[in-house]
Amino acid sequence: MADLLTGASGSVSAETLDLARLQFALTAGGHFLFVTLTLGLATIVACVQTRATISGRPLQARMVRFWGQLYVINYAVGIVTGIVMEFQFGLSWSGLTHDVGNVLGASLAVETIVAFFVESTFLGLWIFGWNRFGKWVHLALIWVVTLTAYLSAYWILVANGFLNHPVGHRMEDGRAVLDDVGALLTNPSALLAFGHILAGSLLTAGFFMAGVSAYHLFRRTPEWEFFGRSLRIGVFVSLPALVVTAGFGGVQLASLADLQPMKSAVFQQKTAEIAQLQTDLAARFGPGNYVPSEAWTRGGALVMLIAFALMMYLCVAGTVLGCFRKVVFRFRLWHVVLMASVPLPYLAMISGWVFREAGRQPWVVYGVLRTRDAVSEVSPTAMRTSLIAFTTLFVLLAVVNARLLWRHARRGPVESGLGHDERAARDDRTDGDEPGPADPLPATRY
Amino acid sequence: METLAIVLLGFFVAGYFVLGGADIGTGMMLPYLGRDEAERRIVIASFAPFFLGNEVWLVATAGVLIGCFPELEGELLSGQFVVVVPLLIGWVVRDSGLWLRGRAPGGSSVWRALCDGAVVCGSWAVALSWGRLLTALFSGSPGTPAPGPAAVLTALAVAACFAVHGLGFAAVRLTGAPYERARQLMGRTRPAQSLALTAVLMAALPLLAGRLLPLYESAADGATLALLVPVVLVITPLLVAVQAWLWRTFRHRVTGPSYL
Repeated sequence: MADLLTGASGSVSAETLDLARLQFALTAGGHFLFVTLTLGLATIVACVQTRATISGRPLQARMVRFWGQLYVINYAVGIVTGIVMEFQFGLSWSGLTHDVGNVLGASLAVETIVAFFVESTFLGLWIFGWNRFGKWVHLALIWVVTLTAYLSAYWILVANGFLNHPVGHRMEDGRAVLDDVGALLTNPSALLAFGHILAGSLLTAGFFMAGVSAYHLFRRTPEWEFFGRSLRIGVFVSLPALVVTAGFGGVQLASLADLQPMKSAVFQQKTAEIAQLQTDLAARFGPGNYVPSEAWTRGGALVMLIAFALMMYLCVAGTVLGCFRKVVFRFRLWHVVLMASVPLPYLAMISGWVFREAGRQPWVVYGVLRTRDAVSEVSPTAMRTSLIAFTTLFVLLAVVNARLLWRHARRGPVESGLGHDERAARDDRTDGDEPGPADPLPATRY
Repeated sequence: METLAIVLLGFFVAGYFVLGGADIGTGMMLPYLGRDEAERRIVIASFAPFFLGNEVWLVATAGVLIGCFPELEGELLSGQFVVVVPLLIGWVVRDSGLWLRGRAPGGSSVWRALCDGAVVCGSWAVALSWGRLLTALFSGSPGTPAPGPAAVLTALAVAACFAVHGLGFAAVRLTGAPYERARQLMGRTRPAQSLALTAVLMAALPLLAGRLLPLYESAADGATLALLVPVVLVITPLLVAVQAWLWRTFRHRVTGPSYL
């Protein structure tokens, strides 16, 4: 702790810094986990809706409504954590906007206006426009939502890539100025992470889909055909997604030796190299501790690699087992394993994130700006109050989200709101009331 | 370039106050407009398709602010920490209430009452926080939260603007008993007239408050603006067109509940 106090910005207390870091870690980490499922599930829903639109088969249209409902529930929590995160840059890290705002701010601005604005408007059209548009228009809506979500992820990773490996800028009077847009947009630290996270989110969605389907097959609910197909989609998406995720991960790990040698040395526990780098960095940037926490950095990486190994076995076995019809419906031990392995991709994603973000400390912008110099001059009391408020709110939302996902997943494809045809309800009013929650989910009428 | 960036900032913030202000105001008046669960659901349906598209105007405003005026963004938000945090909490609570209201399987009425409460409290918190934030901007001290009873009064006045704007919106969108209640408070004014009037007022609020901000002085570096401003200028008509399509699609008065 002592070295935190010797920074240039002596006016901000170490307590504020720790609280601000904890707050950002919880917000960003929480947001990351929700978005992971959202991004992957959106892709799968868009693909299933494409097949449903082309084939016109009721079963596939029902799959769109069921998985789309889970996607929307999860999206809602992702968006509110994301909103808070966007404002936290200015709230808690005004040093960041002051020193590197010219570069970081631009990518965040493009993300909000070019990607997120379009995504939100089209999601509103998709959710509320069910049965109002032609089927091809409605299909186009979900694809716009999915592709702008990808665009959003790309721009956020341009911002994050800049924090990890600042390129495309030059320093003028201690402030970064945009110098080379091409270098900023093709930053390897952004592009590799983009591929890694896209594939990782598909993997998360694949495991989620397989786990939920396995529950219904295990319980032998009547919707065996529905969940047999869904389980296969989940399982068959998982293996390629895992291979691509691991591929991008491996390249990123290899590139660390050049981009962030200290993180690489701490991960590999090369004591001599760590000492050498510490001496070099101290000579370059002045006295201070330049070694990130080994527990978080190495720990995060190891948990991620173990989760990866487990998923590798599961995915290979799953791809083989998924080819046999009888196995899909009757192998109950496999169903249990699939249900139990839903958290694995989440574990891998969050520990990989910890490795990436904890491993670049003490820098918020690698080699440019230290975390302690970026924190806003806010009193510890204000920071603590906001931390408690946001954390309580997010924990509550995470619990509600998990419970709602679980309850909707468990009930299976029954009438639950999304894609409900309001005109039908009004036409049928003579023969009774609104469709009950237990009525089986009808296919969409376009 | 700086002037164009300021115009963009003004455009997005005014858009948020006019569009987002309408659904926030309707949310504030929810207990008055809808007396039972079914009525409240109809009232929420009046802005359900739009609220997501409305609040992104503020996200976009924050985007323009951090992109074109990064230093001001940091100073403004960290200086107004104790005002912005309640605003965000109100926003999150309100959105959670809206999103999750209809999602409790089995239709528990306690759950829906809880969510309605979250929508109302969240909407008031957002409107009052805006009031306090605008007071600080009006008084020319963007770096410190506005103190004293004057701030309370201004905050209440701004919140009242939100509420009246929301009432006008409700009168234009609703039918039946909630519509009658909205009309009752408005007297003899025609709903469309009232809405147009409050829309102008809502757009004027942030623009007047923002005119004292040191925007020219804190604009981003020329290279950043040269990249960012043209991109945003090109995309903005597209965004407006998409939003216009959304409003056109759901332009009819609501008669039944929606997904929320």
